[in-house]
Amino acid sequence: MTNTPNARVTRRTLLGSGLGFGSLALTAMLNGEGDAAEFTAPSGKPHFAPKAKNVIWLFMRGGVSHMESFDPKPALNQYAGKTISETPFAAVQDPEKLKRVRVVVVNDANGQQRNKIYPLQVGFKKYGQSGIEVSDWFPHIGLTIDDIAVIRSMYTTDDNHGAQVQFHSGRHMLDPRVPTIGAWVTWGLGTLNENLPQFISIGPRFFDKRDGHYLGPAYDSVGLKVDPNNPLDYAKPEGDIRSGEQRKTFDLVRRLNRLAAREYPNDSSLDARIKSYELAYRMQTAVPDVIRFDTETANTKRLYGLDQKETRPFGEKLLAARRFAEQGVRFIQIMHGDGAAGAWDQHSNLKAKHAELSMQVDRPIAGLIQDLKQRGMLDETLVVFATEFGRTPGSQGANGRDHHPFGFSVWMAGGGIRGGMVHGSTDELGFHAVEKPHYVTDIHATLLHQLGLHSHRLHVPGHKRLERDFGTVIDEIRA
Amino acid sequence: MIDFSVRCAALLLICVATCQSALAQQVDYRTEIKPLLAEKCYACHGALKQESDLRLETRALMDRGSVLVAGSPNESELLARVSAQGDGRMPPHGEGSALRDDEIDLLRRWIGQGAKAPDEAIPKSPSEHWAFLPIQRPDMTLAAGQNPIDGLLTQQRRLFGVTTTQPASRTIALRRLYLDLIGLPPTLDQLDDDRAWEVIVDQLLESDAHAERWARHWMDVWRYSDWYGLGQQLRVSQKHLWHWRDWIIGSLAEDKGYDRMVMEMLAGDELEPNDPEVVAATGFLARNYYLFNRTTWLDSTIEHTGKAFLGLTLNCAKCHDHKYDPISQVDYYRFRALFEPHQVRLDQLPGESDLDKDGLPRVFDDHIDEPTYLHIRGDAKNPDTSRVISPGVPAILEDLAPPIVPIDLPHEAYAPGTRPHVQQQRLRQAIEAVDVAEKELKAAKKGLAQKVSDTETASTKTFEFTDEFDAADTEAWELVGLGWEYAGGMLKQTKPTRERYMARLRQPLPRDFEMTCRYTTTGGTTYKSVTFRFDQSADGKHANYVYSSAHAPAPKVQAAYTRDGKDHYPGEGRTPTKIEVGHQYQLKFAVRDTLVNVWLDGEFLQAYRFPGPRREGSFSLSAFDATVAFDSLSIRSLPPDLELTESGQVPMDAESALSLAESKHRVAVARVASVQATIAADRSKHLKEPDADLLANAAVRAQALLQKRIAELNQLGRDDKAKQASAQELRKANERLAAAESGAVDYLPLKGSRKALETPAHSESQYPHVYSATSTGRRLALARWVTNHQNPLTAHVAVNHIWMRHFGSPLVDSVFDFGLRAKPPRHQAVLDLLADELIQNGWSLRHLHRLIVTSDTFRLRSSTAGEQANHRLDPENQLYWRANARRMESQVVRDSLLQLAGQLDSTIGGPSIDPAKGGNRRSLYFLHSRDQQDRFLSLFDDADLMQCYRRSESIVPQQALALSNSKLAIEMSATIARQLPAESEEAFVRSAFETILCRDANDEELAACVSFLKNGDDRTRAQLVLAILNHNDFVTIR
Repeated sequence: MTNTPNARVTRRTLLGSGLGFGSLALTAMLNGEGDAAEFTAPSGKPHFAPKAKNVIWLFMRGGVSHMESFDPKPALNQYAGKTISETPFAAVQDPEKLKRVRVVVVNDANGQQRNKIYPLQVGFKKYGQSGIEVSDWFPHIGLTIDDIAVIRSMYTTDDNHGAQVQFHSGRHMLDPRVPTIGAWVTWGLGTLNENLPQFISIGPRFFDKRDGHYLGPAYDSVGLKVDPNNPLDYAKPEGDIRSGEQRKTFDLVRRLNRLAAREYPNDSSLDARIKSYELAYRMQTAVPDVIRFDTETANTKRLYGLDQKETRPFGEKLLAARRFAEQGVRFIQIMHGDGAAGAWDQHSNLKAKHAELSMQVDRPIAGLIQDLKQRGMLDETLVVFATEFGRTPGSQGANGRDHHPFGFSVWMAGGGIRGGMVHGSTDELGFHAVEKPHYVTDIHATLLHQLGLHSHRLHVPGHKRLERDFGTVIDEIRA
Repeated sequence: MIDFSVRCAALLLICVATCQSALAQQVDYRTEIKPLLAEKCYACHGALKQESDLRLETRALMDRGSVLVAGSPNESELLARVSAQGDGRMPPHGEGSALRDDEIDLLRRWIGQGAKAPDEAIPKSPSEHWAFLPIQRPDMTLAAGQNPIDGLLTQQRRLFGVTTTQPASRTIALRRLYLDLIGLPPTLDQLDDDRAWEVIVDQLLESDAHAERWARHWMDVWRYSDWYGLGQQLRVSQKHLWHWRDWIIGSLAEDKGYDRMVMEMLAGDELEPNDPEVVAATGFLARNYYLFNRTTWLDSTIEHTGKAFLGLTLNCAKCHDHKYDPISQVDYYRFRALFEPHQVRLDQLPGESDLDKDGLPRVFDDHIDEPTYLHIRGDAKNPDTSRVISPGVPAILEDLAPPIVPIDLPHEAYAPGTRPHVQQQRLRQAIEAVDVAEKELKAAKKGLAQKVSDTETASTKTFEFTDEFDAADTEAWELVGLGWEYAGGMLKQTKPTRERYMARLRQPLPRDFEMTCRYTTTGGTTYKSVTFRFDQSADGKHANYVYSSAHAPAPKVQAAYTRDGKDHYPGEGRTPTKIEVGHQYQLKFAVRDTLVNVWLDGEFLQAYRFPGPRREGSFSLSAFDATVAFDSLSIRSLPPDLELTESGQVPMDAESALSLAESKHRVAVARVASVQATIAADRSKHLKEPDADLLANAAVRAQALLQKRIAELNQLGRDDKAKQASAQELRKANERLAAAESGAVDYLPLKGSRKALETPAHSESQYPHVYSATSTGRRLALARWVTNHQNPLTAHVAVNHIWMRHFGSPLVDSVFDFGLRAKPPRHQAVLDLLADELIQNGWSLRHLHRLIVTSDTFRLRSSTAGEQANHRLDPENQLYWRANARRMESQVVRDSLLQLAGQLDSTIGGPSIDPAKGGNRRSLYFLHSRDQQDRFLSLFDDADLMQCYRRSESIVPQQALALSNSKLAIEMSATIARQLPAESEEAFVRSAFETILCRDANDEELAACVSFLKNGDDRTRAQLVLAILNHNDFVTIR
């Protein structure tokens, strides 16, 4: 309801430095009974025994066609060229069923229904013991399908690219900005590695480049590039300073700050700053070390597609992700596809473009799962594959599909998720999520649950979260 | 079987044990029941609404409503209602979600245990809420010369047994004062300033730097954001919003009253419609512009007007009545109705007619009759059209609201095209266009004459170079690489290669030149290209060039360029043409600025524009995969009157050029007449002169004639489509002319403004040039209500913001929510006193600043050393017995670095600066939008665009990296180091501490730093300075 102002120093603003706590002796006396006592800040420990420790979050910017990736719809071939109303499934366009969407741009050319059924642009095969069908654009992911739980009954409420933000925050573009799932995870859980940031973001972002919002900037992801020479802002001196000199300077800073601490005995900010310099110094070497792949074997590199021009850029990001997960980074968020709308946005030329984009990600993602598995990491690393929305069963123009928020697919693997299963379904045309429909925050709740967090316990006073923001755990896909 | 029963029994045991323990547990009213009832029930069954005369805030009230039978949950109405299904359920559908089973169970157990609750006072009615009561200046007796803030706070400290700590040292206090008031650290001279504190305070308060520093604070509160969108599409805020930023700075610099500032921001256009300096203030509203959704736009306006000025969370009443405060959903839409008519536009400013370059973003009442409807449950798609909501302020304080009186605007305000500067500018432009057209006409006539007599223009030839290649001329050419030979009166390249072998001309070429070369491609491997490069940099990474390629499948002539070492072959620069091996060609090209025209064997091939700007560089001949024989080459300055064909066009013969120039000239002349007639018509219409109709008719005719002339010009176009379109235009123009004769149509007034699109479906051309002559006066009434001296919220909220920025912690924690959930301030008397001081002193912010920074409390030291007792009693310093150490805001960090190095550019105001371009201006001048924020500033918690009533103060390692690794920090350290005395290590260290931290180094610090410097040089000294800039005491305001 009402919002409290940004706290000056939020809980654990840094490294559990304890800022913002302090004795409440006089506070209570001056304020009368405080209702702040009802709120308990996270301790940095899970609420219950977790299944997963880290998350690798893969987000395809734009909308991946669900019918041509993980939710095959042969009916589209059968009724190709007909209008939806000419098929037996005309009821999907019942206005009542279409109310879910909240339009940002009225009369926009995007996000419209397209009436003429467009046949599938790619074939399907059954994979693995589970025999789950996956499109021929994702043959490598197909091979790992027995580790994957496909959720075919997603929906969202934005029919335009604000859905990017919505998938991460649970809130529609027209609502105020709120913390993203990565920020909540970092806020709720303690660090596993004191040398690295806990929340990393790689790849392009557009509509909202922040994560922490009312939790504070300390919960924003740290943006990285997979470039050992320049992985993050100010990672190395932008001037003529040698590393030996830098060590000396950092030592002097620490020495001077420690001397100052005597002058200012109860200054928790000062303690926090001393620690932040230590972490900063270590980060300078730790981060480039993680994204330097010298120690990886040729086989591993091949697994991620580093040997091929098309797969190399995304493969490098995923190999970096595995290495960050290995080092204990909690939440590694990787975006694929440039531009405001994201690359996966085939209003036209779907066949050629989707084929090209799938090729960029298919081998690397399958490689990641395989690699995590062979290293015994998959059990504790949750991999999420998500996108903004699906694409229309009908054609847009000659050879495209429009945005489609009413039904689409995502998948999860590892971290205690059951593999080789399909959860939920869309109707015959792939139009609506009909069986076990899930809003995007259900993915958040499930993910948090695997990390040992109750989503309902993630809130701060003064910032009301709606029931829908918390989501519901999808129990069926948990092992 | 046995197995089974044992397991069963075990299970049963576990169940009994857990159930019993749960049963045995006493439910605590205060921590378990009250919060639950507060969340679910109080909104309707509390002091605010008392629906069905039922209140649930205390046990006594519950009894009064007979909803409880202690000990008998099943007989208690309360439990029955919260667990009911269907219509009788509480909270009702739409008012809140049902209680969960565990919550119902909790209630059941509490009632079962006797519904125990402590005696509590019955909460007061909302109108008695502290923040809604009139401001009362506290009674107090002060010691002679005592600052009232000190008087009130010492009294409080005494009450709690806390003593006031020592004052900070003079230099630390001065540093604090400077950073606080002007956002820049003091110089050594300023630290030595022994004038009275009050004198220094006054001097700082009157400085422009103070206005800039505090402007940034208010930009936080008022949500400053430069425009952003997608590409060129403007989606949020407005272009040139810096005019509002400069208005803030200017207002603070002249110490404009806070009440006046608020009035100007909400209704400057109604207050002083003809004063752009005042209207600029409405940038506050223009900032909320949102292309896609009017409701979202108005929601932001309502929410942040409420929060910024009143400390009211009106936004919580959008979908239903406010849960905590006396603000109904109808109040929300009444408030919306105040803003319903307004829209945003950019007004033309003197000196700039291109609104993309400059213009004044402002609001105005556009749709003055637009009705406001309540959106049922906040759903814009579901308005309650049965009732039009009338504009008004929340009922709780509505007695103070003045009546809404519509305002007749002067014509310059609603018809911006009638402003003299717009008229003059338009006329001047039209006249200048005639001059240009005349020149072109003259040139075209001359061109025709030239063609007839076929004589060369006798232009002044400043450069002329020819070479027949009969002999080697090493003075003229530098031959680079292998394979060059002179033979048979030709310069030959005999080795087909891709290396950069070239014949480089030693003299520089004039900027605009014409080159002609006869050559033969004699052979080669793949591409068989012969290249003429110019503007070539020494490293070859930058060049423009023209080449021919005899590559069999696609021979061509191509204009191409190299940038940052990368070659680009633009499609628009390519002409497929027959180029054969063994055939001699004459290639000619002429370059003017970035435009090049190319001819082959005397035939025009193409026109192309290189991406500019041009750079100086050398000219060269070369081959690529080819052998070539150059027979002759001549280069000369381009005759200034030689007309080149524009890129994308084809050249025309002299006759056509002349008729085109004549037509253009007629258009230009007609435009002057049209502008003149329009101005005359506008003037007489707004002055309501008797000849208005006559002049209007003259204007229609002049405009129609212009239209006709333009159509005629377009007829000369070569494109058939354009010709067709222009035929239609011509017909329309003739019809219009005819209509004008009969007086049937009205003229189009002069345009002086551009309205922002209401939705993406609109286009700007559909908006009229003249707006509503009446403004509704709604926003002015709102502004007068907000700034009414009796309105208790406005001054309180402002004082709290100011206090927080001086002391690091606010008097009321919830700085934008003074509603019922805001606890009474710790120091209500201080808040009241300062609010009263503000109002009584003409709302002078300077007065308030002065009162605060001249208090002893402001000047206390921040350390808790030796203050164990105080610290134990009041660790959070709620009694302000010491100063709060704070981290500098992002802008102060950067500005201080520049200031200490003497590098700060103190220019005031002007367009926002792209952070990527950098520079040394103060940080508040950087573009600040979703897409553009300085990365250094972002790391130090730059203002959140969406809402920044209070800055965050995070401490993250990236800040350490920025302050030690950024170019800014490294360069400023070196610059500072150079300015410090280097005669001895000790002197250097002492001076560094004084300069950067405004204090002396103590012995240990001195020793550590001197040892760091031992045997050091300039580098070492720079690094010492860098270390001190990374000292906690630098980013901290002690």
